[in-house]
Amino acid sequence: MRTFALLAALLPLVTLGAEIHSGHASAELIVSSSTFQPSSPVQAAIRLKVDEGWHTYWINPGEGGMKLGAEWVLPEGWSAGPLGWPVPIRFKTGDLPGFGYVGEVVIPVTLTPPASATKPATLAVKLDWLTCDDKACISGDAAPSVELKPGPVVATPAVPVIEKSSALVPRPLDGFKLEVAEQGKSLLLTVTAPAGIDPSAFATFPATVQVVDASAAIVFSKSDGKWTALAPKSEYLEGPPKALDLVLSGGGLPHPALVSWSKN
Amino acid sequence: MKQLFFSAFAGLIALASVHAAEVGAPAPAFTAKDANGKEVSLAALKGKVVVLEWNNFGCPFVVKHYGPGNMQKLQETYTGKGVVWLTVNSANESSGAYLSPAAALEQTAKNSWKGSHYLIDSTGAVGKAYAAKTTPHMFVINKEGVLVYNGALDSKATTKSEDISSSDNYVAKALDATLAGKPVATGKTEPYGCGVKY
Repeated sequence: MRTFALLAALLPLVTLGAEIHSGHASAELIVSSSTFQPSSPVQAAIRLKVDEGWHTYWINPGEGGMKLGAEWVLPEGWSAGPLGWPVPIRFKTGDLPGFGYVGEVVIPVTLTPPASATKPATLAVKLDWLTCDDKACISGDAAPSVELKPGPVVATPAVPVIEKSSALVPRPLDGFKLEVAEQGKSLLLTVTAPAGIDPSAFATFPATVQVVDASAAIVFSKSDGKWTALAPKSEYLEGPPKALDLVLSGGGLPHPALVSWSKN
Repeated sequence: MKQLFFSAFAGLIALASVHAAEVGAPAPAFTAKDANGKEVSLAALKGKVVVLEWNNFGCPFVVKHYGPGNMQKLQETYTGKGVVWLTVNSANESSGAYLSPAAALEQTAKNSWKGSHYLIDSTGAVGKAYAAKTTPHMFVINKEGVLVYNGALDSKATTKSEDISSSDNYVAKALDATLAGKPVATGKTEPYGCGVKY
Protein backbone atom coordinates (compact mmCIF):
# COMPACT_ATOMS: atom_id res chain seq x y z
CA MET A 1 0.00 0.00 0.00
CA ARG A 2 2.78 2.38 0.96
CA THR A 3 4.69 1.35 -2.12
CA PHE A 4 1.65 2.12 -4.20
CA ALA A 5 1.34 5.63 -2.74
CA LEU A 6 5.01 6.24 -3.38
CA LEU A 7 4.68 5.05 -6.96
CA ALA A 8 1.64 7.21 -7.50
CA ALA A 9 3.57 10.21 -6.20
CA LEU A 10 6.43 9.48 -8.56
CA LEU A 11 4.26 8.83 -11.58
CA PRO A 12 3.68 12.43 -12.71
CA LEU A 13 7.43 12.99 -12.66
CA VAL A 14 7.99 9.98 -14.82
CA THR A 15 5.42 10.94 -17.45
CA LEU A 16 6.68 14.52 -17.53
CA GLY A 17 10.16 13.38 -18.31
CA ALA A 18 13.30 13.17 -16.25
CA GLU A 19 16.87 14.34 -16.36
CA ILE A 20 19.27 12.09 -18.21
CA HIS A 21 22.96 12.51 -17.44
CA SER A 22 25.55 11.84 -20.14
CA GLY A 23 29.05 13.18 -20.71
CA HIS A 24 29.26 16.16 -18.38
CA ALA A 25 25.66 17.40 -18.58
CA SER A 26 22.14 16.23 -17.99
CA ALA A 27 19.21 16.90 -20.30
CA GLU A 28 15.48 17.09 -19.81
CA LEU A 29 12.49 18.01 -21.95
CA ILE A 30 10.09 20.26 -20.03
CA VAL A 31 6.58 21.35 -21.05
CA SER A 32 4.22 24.06 -19.83
CA SER A 33 1.17 21.77 -19.90
CA SER A 34 0.77 18.06 -19.32
CA THR A 35 -2.03 18.09 -21.88
CA PHE A 36 -2.63 19.40 -25.37
CA GLN A 37 -5.47 20.54 -27.58
CA PRO A 38 -5.53 20.01 -31.35
CA SER A 39 -3.68 22.74 -33.33
CA SER A 40 -2.79 24.59 -30.14
CA PRO A 41 0.97 25.11 -29.66
CA VAL A 42 2.54 23.71 -26.50
CA GLN A 43 5.40 25.72 -25.00
CA ALA A 44 8.30 23.44 -24.16
CA ALA A 45 12.04 23.67 -23.57
CA ILE A 46 15.18 21.60 -23.59
CA ARG A 47 16.86 22.03 -20.22
CA LEU A 48 20.53 21.21 -20.11
CA LYS A 49 22.47 21.28 -16.85
CA VAL A 50 26.20 21.37 -17.46
CA ASP A 51 28.39 19.97 -14.69
CA GLU A 52 30.44 22.49 -12.76
CA GLY A 53 33.79 23.26 -14.39
CA TRP A 54 32.55 22.24 -17.87
CA HIS A 55 30.98 24.15 -20.73
CA THR A 56 28.91 23.35 -23.80
CA TYR A 57 28.43 25.21 -27.08
CA TRP A 58 26.21 27.75 -28.85
CA ILE A 59 25.03 27.67 -32.51
CA ASN A 60 28.32 29.36 -33.35
CA PRO A 61 30.69 27.26 -31.24
CA GLY A 62 33.74 29.36 -32.15
CA GLU A 63 36.87 27.36 -32.94
CA GLY A 64 36.62 23.66 -32.16
CA GLY A 65 33.63 22.66 -30.06
CA MET A 66 30.26 21.61 -31.39
CA LYS A 67 26.75 22.98 -31.13
CA LEU A 68 24.05 20.95 -29.46
CA GLY A 69 22.36 18.66 -31.97
CA ALA A 70 18.60 18.15 -31.64
CA GLU A 71 16.47 15.82 -33.72
CA TRP A 72 12.77 15.61 -32.87
CA VAL A 73 10.87 12.37 -32.72
CA LEU A 74 7.21 13.41 -32.79
CA PRO A 75 3.92 11.69 -33.60
CA GLU A 76 2.62 12.20 -37.10
CA GLY A 77 1.43 15.72 -37.82
CA TRP A 78 3.24 17.32 -34.84
CA SER A 79 5.85 19.96 -35.58
CA ALA A 80 8.65 21.61 -33.63
CA GLY A 81 9.55 25.30 -34.05
CA PRO A 82 13.10 26.67 -34.03
CA LEU A 83 15.20 26.34 -30.87
CA GLY A 84 15.43 29.57 -28.86
CA TRP A 85 19.12 29.77 -28.09
CA PRO A 86 19.87 32.02 -25.10
CA VAL A 87 22.66 34.61 -25.19
CA PRO A 88 25.96 32.73 -24.82
CA ILE A 89 29.13 33.61 -22.96
CA ARG A 90 32.66 33.74 -24.34
CA PHE A 91 35.31 31.35 -23.08
CA LYS A 92 38.58 29.77 -24.06
CA THR A 93 39.18 26.04 -24.20
CA GLY A 94 42.96 25.93 -24.02
CA ASP A 95 43.88 28.25 -26.93
CA LEU A 96 40.55 27.98 -28.73
CA PRO A 97 38.04 30.82 -28.43
CA GLY A 98 34.46 29.64 -28.07
CA PHE A 99 30.86 30.63 -27.39
CA GLY A 100 28.54 28.65 -25.19
CA TYR A 101 27.12 27.99 -21.80
CA VAL A 102 27.97 26.95 -18.28
CA GLY A 103 25.51 25.79 -15.63
CA GLU A 104 21.85 25.57 -16.59
CA VAL A 105 20.76 26.33 -20.16
CA VAL A 106 17.07 26.45 -21.05
CA ILE A 107 16.29 26.41 -24.78
CA PRO A 108 12.60 27.11 -25.41
CA VAL A 109 10.76 25.59 -28.35
CA THR A 110 7.14 25.43 -29.50
CA LEU A 111 5.59 22.05 -30.28
CA THR A 112 2.39 22.09 -32.27
CA PRO A 113 -0.06 19.20 -32.61
CA PRO A 114 -2.09 18.71 -35.78
CA ALA A 115 -5.84 19.47 -35.90
CA SER A 116 -6.49 15.76 -35.92
CA ALA A 117 -4.54 14.96 -32.74
CA THR A 118 -6.76 13.17 -30.24
CA LYS A 119 -4.54 10.43 -28.80
CA PRO A 120 -1.90 10.70 -26.04
CA ALA A 121 1.35 11.80 -27.64
CA THR A 122 4.93 10.93 -26.77
CA LEU A 123 7.23 13.81 -27.70
CA ALA A 124 10.94 13.08 -27.75
CA VAL A 125 14.12 14.79 -28.85
CA LYS A 126 17.40 13.08 -29.62
CA LEU A 127 20.14 15.34 -28.30
CA ASP A 128 23.87 15.19 -28.62
CA TRP A 129 26.30 17.66 -27.16
CA LEU A 130 29.92 18.27 -26.38
CA THR A 131 31.16 19.32 -22.96
CA CYS A 132 34.73 20.51 -22.54
CA ASP A 133 37.01 21.90 -19.88
CA ASP A 134 40.66 22.86 -20.42
CA LYS A 135 41.82 19.28 -20.18
CA ALA A 136 39.28 17.25 -22.10
CA CYS A 137 36.16 17.17 -24.23
CA ILE A 138 33.48 14.58 -23.56
CA SER A 139 30.43 14.07 -25.74
CA GLY A 140 27.03 13.24 -24.34
CA ASP A 141 23.70 12.18 -25.74
CA ALA A 142 20.20 11.60 -24.46
CA ALA A 143 16.68 11.30 -25.83
CA PRO A 144 14.44 12.87 -23.19
CA SER A 145 10.72 12.57 -23.77
CA VAL A 146 7.38 13.63 -22.33
CA GLU A 147 3.93 12.17 -22.71
CA LEU A 148 1.01 14.55 -23.16
CA LYS A 149 -2.65 13.63 -22.91
CA PRO A 150 -5.39 15.31 -24.90
CA GLY A 151 -7.46 17.79 -22.88
CA PRO A 152 -7.68 21.33 -21.55
CA VAL A 153 -4.47 22.99 -20.33
CA VAL A 154 -3.02 21.64 -17.09
CA ALA A 155 -0.11 23.87 -16.16
CA THR A 156 3.07 22.22 -14.91
CA PRO A 157 5.66 23.59 -12.46
CA ALA A 158 7.88 24.28 -15.49
CA VAL A 159 5.73 27.22 -16.67
CA PRO A 160 7.80 30.00 -15.01
CA VAL A 161 11.07 28.43 -16.19
CA ILE A 162 9.87 28.30 -19.79
CA GLU A 163 8.38 31.81 -19.67
CA LYS A 164 11.55 33.28 -18.24
CA SER A 165 13.75 31.56 -20.83
CA SER A 166 11.45 32.62 -23.69
CA ALA A 167 11.71 36.26 -22.63
CA LEU A 168 15.50 35.97 -22.81
CA VAL A 169 15.73 34.57 -26.33
CA PRO A 170 17.36 37.16 -28.62
CA ARG A 171 14.82 38.56 -31.07
CA PRO A 172 14.64 41.46 -33.53
CA LEU A 173 14.06 44.93 -32.10
CA ASP A 174 12.27 47.72 -33.98
CA GLY A 175 14.61 50.45 -35.18
CA PHE A 176 17.70 48.29 -34.83
CA LYS A 177 19.83 47.84 -37.95
CA LEU A 178 23.19 46.40 -38.91
CA GLU A 179 25.40 47.25 -41.89
CA VAL A 180 28.54 45.34 -42.79
CA ALA A 181 31.35 46.64 -45.00
CA GLU A 182 34.73 45.15 -45.82
CA GLN A 183 37.77 47.04 -44.66
CA GLY A 184 40.89 45.08 -45.60
CA LYS A 185 41.17 42.06 -43.33
CA SER A 186 38.40 43.36 -41.11
CA LEU A 187 34.70 44.01 -41.27
CA LEU A 188 33.30 47.38 -40.32
CA LEU A 189 30.06 46.81 -38.43
CA THR A 190 27.71 49.76 -38.14
CA VAL A 191 24.62 49.60 -35.93
CA THR A 192 21.69 51.97 -35.85
CA ALA A 193 20.13 51.69 -32.42
CA PRO A 194 16.84 53.01 -31.07
CA ALA A 195 17.03 56.02 -28.75
CA GLY A 196 18.22 55.36 -25.21
CA ILE A 197 20.37 52.40 -26.21
CA ASP A 198 24.12 52.49 -25.54
CA PRO A 199 25.90 50.19 -28.03
CA SER A 200 29.26 50.76 -26.29
CA ALA A 201 27.92 48.64 -23.41
CA PHE A 202 26.73 45.72 -25.58
CA ALA A 203 27.94 42.20 -25.14
CA THR A 204 28.09 41.17 -28.82
CA PHE A 205 28.28 37.69 -30.32
CA PRO A 206 28.46 36.59 -33.97
CA ALA A 207 25.72 33.98 -34.47
CA THR A 208 26.81 33.26 -38.05
CA VAL A 209 29.82 30.97 -38.30
CA GLN A 210 32.97 31.70 -40.30
CA VAL A 211 32.41 35.44 -40.79
CA VAL A 212 34.01 37.14 -37.78
CA ASP A 213 37.14 35.90 -35.99
CA ALA A 214 35.81 34.17 -32.86
CA SER A 215 38.72 35.39 -30.73
CA ALA A 216 38.00 39.09 -31.26
CA ALA A 217 35.79 41.08 -28.91
CA ILE A 218 33.29 43.23 -30.82
CA VAL A 219 33.18 46.66 -29.22
CA PHE A 220 31.10 49.53 -30.61
CA SER A 221 32.18 53.13 -30.32
CA LYS A 222 30.71 56.32 -31.64
CA SER A 223 32.38 58.41 -34.30
CA ASP A 224 30.84 60.90 -36.73
CA GLY A 225 27.48 60.16 -35.17
CA LYS A 226 27.68 56.47 -36.02
CA TRP A 227 28.14 53.40 -33.83
CA THR A 228 30.80 51.22 -35.39
CA ALA A 229 32.97 48.26 -34.48
CA LEU A 230 35.88 46.85 -36.42
CA ALA A 231 35.95 43.06 -36.31
CA PRO A 232 38.69 40.95 -37.89
CA LYS A 233 37.39 38.54 -40.54
CA SER A 234 37.33 34.85 -39.83
CA GLU A 235 40.22 33.18 -41.66
CA TYR A 236 37.57 30.81 -43.04
CA LEU A 237 35.50 33.53 -44.71
CA GLU A 238 35.72 33.03 -48.46
CA GLY A 239 35.25 36.15 -50.53
CA PRO A 240 33.08 39.04 -49.35
CA PRO A 241 30.67 38.37 -46.46
CA LYS A 242 27.12 37.46 -47.52
CA ALA A 243 25.24 37.55 -44.23
CA LEU A 244 25.83 38.14 -40.55
CA ASP A 245 23.57 37.72 -37.53
CA LEU A 246 24.67 39.37 -34.31
CA VAL A 247 23.27 38.67 -30.87
CA LEU A 248 23.53 41.60 -28.47
CA SER A 249 22.61 42.13 -24.86
CA GLY A 250 23.01 44.89 -22.29
CA GLY A 251 23.42 48.57 -23.15
CA GLY A 252 19.84 49.33 -22.13
CA LEU A 253 18.23 46.87 -24.56
CA PRO A 254 14.75 45.86 -23.35
CA HIS A 255 15.61 42.25 -24.20
CA PRO A 256 18.51 40.45 -25.91
CA ALA A 257 18.42 41.45 -29.55
CA LEU A 258 19.09 39.68 -32.82
CA VAL A 259 20.13 41.91 -35.66
CA SER A 260 20.64 40.52 -39.16
CA TRP A 261 22.47 41.80 -42.17
CA SER A 262 22.62 40.26 -45.60
CA LYS A 263 24.10 41.44 -48.84
CA ASN A 264 21.04 42.81 -50.63
CA MET B 1 69.33 52.57 -36.51
CA LYS B 2 69.75 49.57 -34.31
CA GLN B 3 66.15 49.94 -33.22
CA LEU B 4 64.96 50.28 -36.80
CA PHE B 5 66.84 47.16 -37.74
CA PHE B 6 65.34 45.33 -34.80
CA SER B 7 61.75 46.30 -35.59
CA ALA B 8 62.23 45.41 -39.24
CA PHE B 9 63.56 42.06 -38.12
CA ALA B 10 60.65 41.55 -35.71
CA GLY B 11 58.29 42.40 -38.56
CA LEU B 12 59.90 39.74 -40.70
CA ILE B 13 59.43 37.14 -37.99
CA ALA B 14 55.79 38.13 -37.56
CA LEU B 15 55.29 37.89 -41.31
CA ALA B 16 56.93 34.49 -41.40
CA SER B 17 54.69 33.16 -38.64
CA VAL B 18 51.50 34.53 -40.20
CA HIS B 19 52.32 32.74 -43.44
CA ALA B 20 53.64 29.65 -41.69
CA ALA B 21 51.15 27.14 -43.04
CA GLU B 22 49.60 28.90 -45.99
CA VAL B 23 48.04 26.72 -48.67
CA GLY B 24 50.05 27.14 -51.86
CA ALA B 25 53.27 28.01 -49.99
CA PRO B 26 56.13 25.69 -48.98
CA ALA B 27 55.11 23.64 -45.93
CA PRO B 28 57.08 24.60 -42.80
CA ALA B 29 60.13 22.39 -42.28
CA PHE B 30 60.34 20.25 -39.16
CA THR B 31 62.15 17.38 -37.55
CA ALA B 32 60.53 15.31 -34.82
CA LYS B 33 60.93 11.93 -33.18
CA ASP B 34 58.37 9.20 -33.61
CA ALA B 35 57.17 6.76 -30.92
CA ASN B 36 60.03 4.40 -31.83
CA GLY B 37 62.61 7.14 -31.28
CA LYS B 38 63.25 7.51 -35.00
CA GLU B 39 63.88 11.00 -36.32
CA VAL B 40 61.52 12.13 -39.09
CA SER B 41 62.28 15.23 -41.12
CA LEU B 42 59.98 16.75 -43.69
CA ALA B 43 62.92 17.73 -45.90
CA ALA B 44 63.89 14.07 -46.25
CA LEU B 45 60.38 13.28 -47.53
CA LYS B 46 60.60 15.52 -50.58
CA GLY B 47 59.30 13.63 -53.59
CA LYS B 48 56.53 12.02 -51.53
CA VAL B 49 53.04 13.20 -50.73
CA VAL B 50 52.80 13.73 -46.96
CA VAL B 51 49.74 13.84 -44.68
CA LEU B 52 49.86 15.43 -41.22
CA GLU B 53 47.10 14.35 -38.84
CA TRP B 54 46.86 15.96 -35.38
CA ASN B 55 45.82 13.39 -32.84
CA ASN B 56 44.58 12.71 -29.32
CA PHE B 57 43.00 9.27 -29.10
CA GLY B 58 40.85 10.42 -26.17
CA CYS B 59 39.07 13.22 -28.05
CA PRO B 60 35.48 12.36 -29.11
CA PHE B 61 36.06 13.81 -32.61
CA VAL B 62 39.06 11.49 -33.02
CA VAL B 63 37.10 8.56 -31.60
CA LYS B 64 34.40 9.33 -34.20
CA HIS B 65 36.88 8.44 -36.95
CA TYR B 66 38.96 5.74 -35.21
CA GLY B 67 35.99 3.92 -33.67
CA PRO B 68 34.52 2.64 -36.94
CA GLY B 69 37.97 2.41 -38.60
CA ASN B 70 37.51 5.43 -40.90
CA MET B 71 40.90 7.03 -40.15
CA GLN B 72 42.73 3.70 -40.30
CA LYS B 73 41.15 2.91 -43.67
CA LEU B 74 42.37 6.25 -45.06
CA GLN B 75 45.84 5.59 -43.63
CA GLU B 76 45.94 2.11 -45.16
CA THR B 77 44.57 3.23 -48.54
CA TYR B 78 46.91 6.16 -49.02
CA THR B 79 50.10 4.71 -47.53
CA GLY B 80 49.39 1.89 -50.00
CA LYS B 81 49.69 4.54 -52.72
CA GLY B 82 53.05 5.78 -51.46
CA VAL B 83 51.77 8.57 -49.21
CA VAL B 84 53.70 9.15 -45.97
CA TRP B 85 51.12 9.57 -43.18
CA LEU B 86 52.43 11.38 -40.11
CA THR B 87 50.16 11.38 -37.07
CA VAL B 88 51.24 14.09 -34.65
CA ASN B 89 50.52 14.45 -30.94
CA SER B 90 51.43 17.99 -29.82
CA ALA B 91 49.93 17.72 -26.32
CA ASN B 92 52.06 19.26 -23.58
CA GLU B 93 53.60 16.80 -21.12
CA SER B 94 51.39 18.21 -18.38
CA SER B 95 48.23 17.42 -20.38
CA GLY B 96 46.24 14.22 -20.06
CA ALA B 97 46.45 13.92 -23.84
CA TYR B 98 50.28 13.61 -23.78
CA LEU B 99 51.64 10.22 -24.74
CA SER B 100 55.11 9.01 -23.82
CA PRO B 101 56.76 6.94 -26.57
CA ALA B 102 55.77 3.73 -24.76
CA ALA B 103 52.18 4.91 -24.26
CA ALA B 104 52.02 6.01 -27.91
CA LEU B 105 53.07 2.53 -29.05
CA GLU B 106 50.41 1.03 -26.82
CA GLN B 107 47.69 3.42 -28.02
CA THR B 108 48.54 3.08 -31.71
CA ALA B 109 48.39 -0.72 -31.38
CA LYS B 110 45.13 -0.57 -29.43
CA ASN B 111 43.56 1.71 -32.06
CA SER B 112 44.86 -0.37 -35.01
CA TRP B 113 46.52 2.82 -36.25
CA LYS B 114 47.98 2.41 -39.74
CA GLY B 115 49.96 5.60 -40.33
CA SER B 116 53.67 5.76 -41.20
CA HIS B 117 54.99 7.49 -38.07
CA TYR B 118 53.42 8.63 -34.79
CA LEU B 119 55.29 11.84 -33.94
CA ILE B 120 55.59 13.02 -30.37
CA ASP B 121 55.75 16.81 -30.43
CA SER B 122 55.29 17.64 -26.76
CA THR B 123 57.07 21.00 -27.15
CA GLY B 124 54.36 21.89 -29.69
CA ALA B 125 57.01 23.09 -32.18
CA VAL B 126 55.52 21.24 -35.15
CA GLY B 127 51.95 22.03 -34.15
CA LYS B 128 52.65 25.73 -33.78
CA ALA B 129 54.59 25.88 -37.07
CA TYR B 130 51.42 24.65 -38.77
CA ALA B 131 49.04 26.47 -36.40
CA ALA B 132 47.31 23.15 -35.78
CA LYS B 133 44.17 23.98 -33.82
CA THR B 134 42.21 20.81 -33.26
CA THR B 135 42.36 17.05 -33.08
CA PRO B 136 41.91 16.02 -35.76
CA HIS B 137 43.40 18.80 -37.94
CA MET B 138 44.65 17.63 -41.32
CA PHE B 139 47.32 18.89 -43.73
CA VAL B 140 48.41 17.55 -47.12
CA ILE B 141 51.81 18.38 -48.61
CA ASN B 142 52.58 17.59 -52.25
CA LYS B 143 55.73 16.01 -53.72
CA GLU B 144 57.34 19.44 -54.16
CA GLY B 145 56.89 20.21 -50.46
CA VAL B 146 54.03 22.67 -51.01
CA LEU B 147 51.08 22.71 -48.62
CA VAL B 148 47.96 21.88 -50.64
CA TYR B 149 45.37 21.26 -47.92
CA ASN B 150 44.78 22.67 -44.43
CA GLY B 151 41.59 21.87 -42.52
CA ALA B 152 39.03 19.35 -41.40
CA LEU B 153 39.03 15.67 -42.28
CA ASP B 154 35.50 15.95 -43.62
CA SER B 155 32.48 18.20 -43.90
CA LYS B 156 30.41 17.30 -40.82
CA ALA B 157 31.64 18.88 -37.58
CA THR B 158 30.07 16.33 -35.25
CA THR B 159 31.17 13.51 -32.95
CA LYS B 160 28.79 11.00 -34.53
CA SER B 161 30.35 8.16 -36.54
CA GLU B 162 27.08 7.67 -38.43
CA ASP B 163 27.68 11.06 -40.09
CA ILE B 164 30.85 9.83 -41.85
CA SER B 165 29.11 8.11 -44.76
CA SER B 166 27.18 11.27 -45.69
CA SER B 167 30.20 13.59 -45.32
CA ASP B 168 32.45 15.03 -47.95
CA ASN B 169 35.97 13.74 -47.19
CA TYR B 170 38.20 16.73 -47.99
CA VAL B 171 41.45 14.87 -47.26
CA ALA B 172 40.67 11.93 -49.55
CA LYS B 173 39.76 14.40 -52.31
CA ALA B 174 42.93 16.44 -51.75
CA LEU B 175 45.04 13.27 -51.81
CA ASP B 176 43.36 11.87 -54.92
CA ALA B 177 43.89 15.15 -56.77
CA THR B 178 47.49 15.52 -55.58
CA LEU B 179 48.42 11.93 -56.48
CA ALA B 180 46.91 12.50 -59.93
CA GLY B 181 48.99 15.68 -60.31
CA LYS B 182 45.88 17.86 -60.29
CA PRO B 183 45.15 20.97 -58.23
CA VAL B 184 43.16 20.56 -55.00
CA ALA B 185 39.68 22.08 -55.38
CA THR B 186 39.09 22.74 -51.67
CA GLY B 187 42.42 23.71 -50.12
CA LYS B 188 41.26 25.26 -46.88
CA THR B 189 38.42 24.45 -44.50
CA GLU B 190 37.78 25.09 -40.84
CA PRO B 191 39.07 22.17 -38.78
CA TYR B 192 36.79 20.74 -36.10
CA GLY B 193 37.59 18.85 -32.95
CA CYS B 194 39.07 19.24 -29.49
CA GLY B 195 41.95 21.61 -28.80
CA VAL B 196 45.51 20.37 -29.38
CA LYS B 197 46.45 20.84 -25.65
CA TYR B 198 49.70 22.74 -26.19
